[in-house]
Amino acid sequence: MPIAPLPNLLAALPEIFLAVAAMALLILGVFQGEARAAKEVSWLSVVVLVVAIFMVGAQNGVRHVTLAGMFITDGYSIFAKILVLIGSAFSLILSIRYNERENISRFEFPVLVLLSTTGMLMMISANDLLALYLGLELQSLALYIVASFDRDSARSSEAGLKYFVLGALASGMMLFGISMIYGFAGSTGFDTLAAHLGGQATPSAGLVVGIVFLIVGMAFKISAVPFHMWTPDVYEGAPTPVTAFFSVAPKIAAMALFVRVMVGPFHTLLFEWRQVIWAIAVASMILGALAAINQRNIKRLMAYSSIGHMGYALIGLAAGNAIGVRGVLIYLAIYLFMNVGTFAVILSMRRGGKMVEGIEDLAGLSRTQPAMALALGIFMFSLAGIPPMAGFFAKLYVFMAAIDSGLNVLAVIGVVTSVVSAYYYVRIVKLMYFDEPAAGGAFDRHIGVEVNAVLMVASIIIMFFFLYPAPVVAGAEAASAALFPG
Amino acid sequence: MAILAVFLPLLGAVVAGFFGRVIGDRGAQVVTCSCLGVAAICGLLVFNDIAVWHHTAIVPVFTWIDAGQLKIAWALKLDALSAVMLAMVTVVSFVIHVYSIGYMAGDPSIPRFMSYLSLFTFFMLMLVTSSNFVQLFFGWEGVGLCSYLLVGFWYDRPRANAAAIKAFVVNRIGDFGFSVGIFAVYYLFGTLDFGPVFGGAAGMAGKTMVFLGMHVDALTVTCILLFIGAMGKSAQIGLHVWLPDAMEGPTPVSALIHAATMVTAGVFMVARLSPMFEYAPIALNTVTVVGGTTALFAATVGIAQNDIKRVIAYSTCSQLGYMFFAAGVSAYQASIFHLMTHAFFKALLFLSAGSVIHAMSGEQDMRKMGGLGRLIPITYVVMWIGSLALAGIPPFAGYFSKDMILEAAYASGSEVGEYAFVLGCFAAFLTALYSWRLLFLTFHGEPRADHETLHHVHESPKVMLIPLYVLSAGALVMGALGYHWLVGAGAKEFWGNAIVVLPQHAGIAGAERVPVWVSTLPLVAGLIGIAVAWYAYIRRPSVPGETARAFEPIYLFLLNKWYFDEIYNFIFVRPAFWVARLLWRRGDGTVIDGFGPDGVSEVTGDLSVRASRLQSGYVFQYAFAMVIGVAIFVSWFLFWRST
Amino acid sequence: MIVQAICFYIFSAIAVASGVMVIAARNPVHSVLFLILAFFNAAGLFVLMGAEFLAMILVIVYVGAVAVLFLFVVMMLDIDFAQLRSGAVRYLPIGATVGIILAVELVLMFAAWVFAPEVGQALAAPMPGAHVTNTAALGDLLYTKYVYAFQAAGIILLIAMIGAIVLTLRHKPDVRRQKIGVQVSRRRTETIALVKVKAREGIGEEEGVR
Repeated sequence: MPIAPLPNLLAALPEIFLAVAAMALLILGVFQGEARAAKEVSWLSVVVLVVAIFMVGAQNGVRHVTLAGMFITDGYSIFAKILVLIGSAFSLILSIRYNERENISRFEFPVLVLLSTTGMLMMISANDLLALYLGLELQSLALYIVASFDRDSARSSEAGLKYFVLGALASGMMLFGISMIYGFAGSTGFDTLAAHLGGQATPSAGLVVGIVFLIVGMAFKISAVPFHMWTPDVYEGAPTPVTAFFSVAPKIAAMALFVRVMVGPFHTLLFEWRQVIWAIAVASMILGALAAINQRNIKRLMAYSSIGHMGYALIGLAAGNAIGVRGVLIYLAIYLFMNVGTFAVILSMRRGGKMVEGIEDLAGLSRTQPAMALALGIFMFSLAGIPPMAGFFAKLYVFMAAIDSGLNVLAVIGVVTSVVSAYYYVRIVKLMYFDEPAAGGAFDRHIGVEVNAVLMVASIIIMFFFLYPAPVVAGAEAASAALFPG
Repeated sequence: MAILAVFLPLLGAVVAGFFGRVIGDRGAQVVTCSCLGVAAICGLLVFNDIAVWHHTAIVPVFTWIDAGQLKIAWALKLDALSAVMLAMVTVVSFVIHVYSIGYMAGDPSIPRFMSYLSLFTFFMLMLVTSSNFVQLFFGWEGVGLCSYLLVGFWYDRPRANAAAIKAFVVNRIGDFGFSVGIFAVYYLFGTLDFGPVFGGAAGMAGKTMVFLGMHVDALTVTCILLFIGAMGKSAQIGLHVWLPDAMEGPTPVSALIHAATMVTAGVFMVARLSPMFEYAPIALNTVTVVGGTTALFAATVGIAQNDIKRVIAYSTCSQLGYMFFAAGVSAYQASIFHLMTHAFFKALLFLSAGSVIHAMSGEQDMRKMGGLGRLIPITYVVMWIGSLALAGIPPFAGYFSKDMILEAAYASGSEVGEYAFVLGCFAAFLTALYSWRLLFLTFHGEPRADHETLHHVHESPKVMLIPLYVLSAGALVMGALGYHWLVGAGAKEFWGNAIVVLPQHAGIAGAERVPVWVSTLPLVAGLIGIAVAWYAYIRRPSVPGETARAFEPIYLFLLNKWYFDEIYNFIFVRPAFWVARLLWRRGDGTVIDGFGPDGVSEVTGDLSVRASRLQSGYVFQYAFAMVIGVAIFVSWFLFWRST
Repeated sequence: MIVQAICFYIFSAIAVASGVMVIAARNPVHSVLFLILAFFNAAGLFVLMGAEFLAMILVIVYVGAVAVLFLFVVMMLDIDFAQLRSGAVRYLPIGATVGIILAVELVLMFAAWVFAPEVGQALAAPMPGAHVTNTAALGDLLYTKYVYAFQAAGIILLIAMIGAIVLTLRHKPDVRRQKIGVQVSRRRTETIALVKVKAREGIGEEEGVR
């Protein structure tokens, strides 16, 4: 029998490294025993993620397709992967102390995060509907488990179960869509699909419906309306570091995948799918702005906030050109740091050794912990999109892209909803700075060096982004150029 | 080197600000002072580089904004003008940092103070080294912010808070003019970089543009708008009201911000933009008139004040007026020269006043002082040095610069120049008068303080005195040292093309040719002032009271600072409150709120409740929502797409 | 050929019918049994296509392991289907409407089915040749063209395994486990103590059996 040539594995090195490292750490954890291993494995996982960042960074932006056409690396994948890896690393760092305090410190957690991150990288690099589906399932399955990681808490178990059931439904729909695309177009490979669709005058109805189902699957992952219903419940129920993780890495990966699928193989159908994206973007922005106003729980509030933010990012996708994709990537990069920072604060909201999650608990924070209040204030202003915080520029770039593509209505709705949503962000600032300190006194002091460090890095980046935006903007520009050759 | 000088204070500020709790009071002081020390050395080296070797340059830091046509880079513009400012700011700031260690000892939030101080220095350096308008504006707003933070540093004192807010609001008015001016520059020149703007200024002279519906000379309007910004920052008449109130801040702040650096930003700006102002003669005349008026006005108020710091504050105001009218008669070099000498002797005066206040356990009213000369001799001596420099007595620093300004004003030959000259000479007399009034009231005569306070009077610690020595050395020799380079024979070579003066304007060159009586008049005026002060406060202490009674309206007029605050209160603040209340009750409450915010927010709240009610918690409903969503999208495509 | 066609329709009809019964049966145990029936018919369809390896795997893995496991779980849990149904009835009208709309649309869409030209080619060469066995052909594909998907699927299963352990395994302190290592490494001196027993006194408390 002839021996098949080995595919170019170098392109997939970061993924392979992550998967192997996760397994190695799993073995290490099992042999060390639970009690001791958790912290060690967590920090080693952070190291692994950092190494993976360098591995990804070492790849040049040249387009490589390997593993029988299923896997692609290019400038776009590098940018998105680095964001995802940073998000995972930050979430892991934030989780360590929290898990110890809540007595859910187990070495499987970092291993699952690593495996999930592997799945995200695979999503970003997917060049085939099959690879897309497998990457998505890989990350989702690990996410279902970490959502219910606090297995003795009913809320956490419920969160995991809800996410799982609805995720399965979404996966099913997506798979159905993929099968329809395969049936009507005769291929699952992105390159073949693009070539096939490029030659067609009008696509068959079946294909478009297949794409709609595919969009549903991915819209579920980025929690866009009306496929968002799981988000608030899962955000609230899951352990807070898991929520932090949920709010960044999977969102970024799914959004990156979304963009790649839409502007890659289906680019010629832009005017077909743009309507769907338009609709879910508008619905997400409106719901994100309205529903958050009434929330009393800050994790729930952040859930609606992330729904809204994904709506804004979708504006860039709706534009469907290089400027729009650049906007999406900048948005994701800034969103990453805003959310990580905010969750670093939320994780520090402990009183008498217990986690508190009410928005009212933040009242008067400026008097008890001015530094933390300042940081949270920065993040809130940034989330609200108030200049000169980074969040303003994130919105600016996507709105610019929308106007550039003639989607003026979308841009106007975006501006209006960000004004509405500013209400609840600024309300938190008002609570912290102008209200009497909450009953029950100050939060616990020792929030940990690593949490402090994350908080500081994130707030400096958000606060001073406007001074030196060039690296992010240039990186996003190069990345989006990779999707639009020629 | 220049980058180091500019960014080291930022580093110090960040370290002291964020890690203040970790490194402690002592750590914060050491970090900020050493950062500033190194920055000062760098600043002097840069100055040396430029003054001696003429290594002017634009040091790029990085690209800031690159949006379409608007390209703005962070870059440090290094020429003679910024070098003078760089060296002066870093040195004075370093000295004041050191002084603060002693002055602020015992304050509960020392790291915060040091951090603000360093941050301020960074913004000031950013301002003076800026190579484009946006960077200038960035530094401009930055120093404004730091000034707000530092004036309101003791935030538990209502008066300090009010003063901080007043400073901020009044500066906003100026900044509004400034930013509109920047828009006008962009509109006219299509760029905000100094290089191309200055290059194109000559071609822009005489062009008109539409402003507020009128055709007006473009450059004149732009320059006047920019000058309004300078008036706000440099406390010129009309927008000066915040400066005396800002004395509520700690004394080192008054010395650094409200004497040596920030308030001179306006003067610096006019000098920096000399290539533009030169082509806008009406704007220059405006500058001259405003400057001259301020010089006299502030001096008259100064003689009637009783708070030791307020006297010096008004003196600052008046000296800034000198600098402006110097710039207005195209003697920018003299203006910067005076700016520099003034920085030294005024910082000295403030710091010695701080030393007095320190000695008097916080007492600032001169009527309760007196006879302190024997108790705190060192402070007494340095205060004399500062006052001699301020009054322009040779060979102290102020003599050289102030003389030069007045000569240039006379030599300009224009009516406004003469106006400024006359007012300036009279102000010189008043300057000497209020300076010696301050000296005599504070240090001579019988002690008027209560026994308890007197018992505690003591000379300040070394860490406060050494800065005083450094500054007195500056006040002594700076004038003689700088004369040759900044305004004397070496001036042309020194300034290079940092400052542009059109040949038809006399500028400092004309100062060489004035009659002798012109150059001696300021000195004579000063000496008369001293003599009058001596007569009124030492020889016949009853004179002031009698004069005040005899000319009560005038006295009250001066004591109440020409009723500026009251007039503003009457014209702007109270009507503003009234209108605001009317708008709030009637307009807002019923009209706008009904349909606008309140109505909208009510609807929003209502929608919000509905939106959250969607979230029932039941998985099957969630799943159902998803299925409905899919059905809608699919139907949309199948039935509406084809049409 | 006709035999094959008849078999195909029988198998597929039963598969669809048992699929319906899985969700329609009142008794959950019956549901699982119908599921097993559906699996059997799917296996039959595989055999018809000449994929006997897949057919056997389906029977062994799905019927033999998965479905039986299901059966155990369903029998152990006490699920009141009647109660669940009562909830569903309330939403039946709107649910039916949406379902019918979707179904109609999909039917309309499939009516316009056009095979892509590539499909014909794929059908033309489905088999690697008579001398290659089914298993070898699958392996050849799995380890070359689909190695990426294969490995990814492997990792997914690993995650599932970790998840099952993490979420359910509990170390109860009072449960005694056999630790062979401890047993083997025991020494005589640690476990047996020779005690001299004086007549009529018995052994003391503290020297009792450990």
